[in-house]
Amino acid sequence: MKEVAFGQYYPVDSFIHKVDPRLKLLFLIAYIVAIFLAKNFYGLAACAGVLLAIVLFSRVPLGKVLRAVRGVTFLVLFTAVINVFFYRGDTVLWGWKFLQITREGLIFSAFLVLRILLLVVCSSMLTYTTTPVALTDGIESLLTPLKWVRFPVHVLALVMSIALRFIPILSDETERIKNAQKARGADFESGGLVKKVRAVVPILIPLLLSAFRRADELGDAMDARCYMGDKHRTKYKKLRFTWRDAIVFFVGGALIAGVVVLRVYLGAPV
Amino acid sequence: MRIVAEHLSYTYNPRSPFAVRALDDVCLTVEEGEFFGIIGHTGSGKSTFVQHLNGLIRTPASLKRRKRKQASPVQTLTVGEFDLTDKKTDFRALRKSVGMVFQYPEYQLFAETVKEDVAFGYKNFADKKPTDAEIGLAVNEALSIVGLDPNEVAGKSPFDLSGGQKRRVAIAGVIVSKPEILILDEPAAGLDPLGKREIMELLHRIHGAWCKTVVIVSHDMDEIAENCTRAAVFAEGRVKYCLPPRELFKMTDELLALGLDIPLTAKICLALKKRGIEIDCDFTTEDFIAKTLALKGGVK
Ligand SMILES: Nc1ncnc2c1ncn2[C@@H]1O[C@H](COP(=O)(O)OP(=O)(O)O)[C@@H](O)[C@H]1O
Ligand SMILES: [Mg+2]
Repeated sequence: MKEVAFGQYYPVDSFIHKVDPRLKLLFLIAYIVAIFLAKNFYGLAACAGVLLAIVLFSRVPLGKVLRAVRGVTFLVLFTAVINVFFYRGDTVLWGWKFLQITREGLIFSAFLVLRILLLVVCSSMLTYTTTPVALTDGIESLLTPLKWVRFPVHVLALVMSIALRFIPILSDETERIKNAQKARGADFESGGLVKKVRAVVPILIPLLLSAFRRADELGDAMDARCYMGDKHRTKYKKLRFTWRDAIVFFVGGALIAGVVVLRVYLGAPV
Repeated sequence: MRIVAEHLSYTYNPRSPFAVRALDDVCLTVEEGEFFGIIGHTGSGKSTFVQHLNGLIRTPASLKRRKRKQASPVQTLTVGEFDLTDKKTDFRALRKSVGMVFQYPEYQLFAETVKEDVAFGYKNFADKKPTDAEIGLAVNEALSIVGLDPNEVAGKSPFDLSGGQKRRVAIAGVIVSKPEILILDEPAAGLDPLGKREIMELLHRIHGAWCKTVVIVSHDMDEIAENCTRAAVFAEGRVKYCLPPRELFKMTDELLALGLDIPLTAKICLALKKRGIEIDCDFTTEDFIAKTLALKGGVK
């Protein structure tokens, strides 16, 4: 199958890959909480350290991890610039009209940038090390309590996994249709905006038709096999907690505790 | 226009865990005027190869340069005058000369009417904006040669046609710009026997006057035996054999070992050979029948 930007599972065998998806999801939540609880660079350093360990243990190449960061370059730069110039601090280093750079502003921006980077890297580690199927299984399992209030958790999970499964299929299909139209002389690169938008029609219509056809076929196939949703269904792969999950659990707990302690004893950097 | 490929290799998603070596040192020449067949198991690289021929897949230029330094064989791919390993090649002009019909081409139809859909390629490739009359003429001609009645179908929505008709409209949409070389990737896949026969018939009508060279990818050995001047056998990204059907289908054991079929005529020849009767035919039905009849007279 083709590699696509989304659903970027990286297939190697590692400690992190084997961790239960539910725990990975919980850990991600804990990690986000820790990032926002961290009030000084020591706290963030602790978070960064843990993340580094995750990256190393996951055996995902560093280049891949950095590629995830590349996607948010603009956001990061934008945030940094805005904060550097507009943060009102006391120690003014440079000023011009309404713009001023302060020591506090610099520190605050650095802090924010670090936070965003850690957040992005940590969430992409989740998708790098967890197959979409495992991920939806995990989400379904974590949302089980909602079933008690009759929320259709299973349907939601099914919709998610089908959507995830279809992303690479449709992206392959787009590529195929695009090639077919290119072979008929279609030009997607040159021309102004209007021309470019019009050039998309020969791709979009076949793509939509094929998406509907596939959806129809999938629905028929599910009916033909008497799929009835949640009731009486068993799982092929049951999720089970193991010693790996215990380790991740304790690391997550320790991280939050550590960050809180650092926050209380060392205070804010600004 | 000749097609010449030498030491052509291609890897999908290089340097990643998804890497697939789809072509491995392919050397192949297709002469002008041939009806050339490409056969091989699924995943043997046939589609990858034919997509190279009109520049939809390109061998990265950097790779070419690096290869040259390492003194390993230089990859070359030329179609007529066009050097496809050169970035500066005019790919639009190339695509005008090399028409490509993808697998299940009916899924690329998009316009409101058959006429508009067929005209799409014509308008794209026209050097100056064609008049309505020119477009109408070209579309009618293309529809007629693929065996459709222009008066009947031109105004219809392509989505209202039958499967076989849709496919023929899609083929018309490619040949409308009169490419010198026409490439078809499994043109008869998924059609009933009648539909298959119709497609092969229309290819014969097109071959020669309309498109000088025709290259088809096919799984149907009878089709290859009946129609092709030569056929290349792909296996695991390499060209195993490239021979006229007459010689190719004598290598029964080799083909069966590759998981391929042989034409019905070759099967009968093989069975007869086991009983001591040799028929030296070129594996087309016509020749087979003629030789068999001649033999019958001779034996009895
Ligand atoms: N877009 C693609 N991305 C990654 N791998 C591909 C892609 N297209 C084809 N392949 C792989 O390349 C190999 C050759 O495929 P293909 O040329 O389609 O074979 P064939 O047409 O002979 O069935 C196969 O192993 C296939 O899985
Ligand atoms: Mg193919």
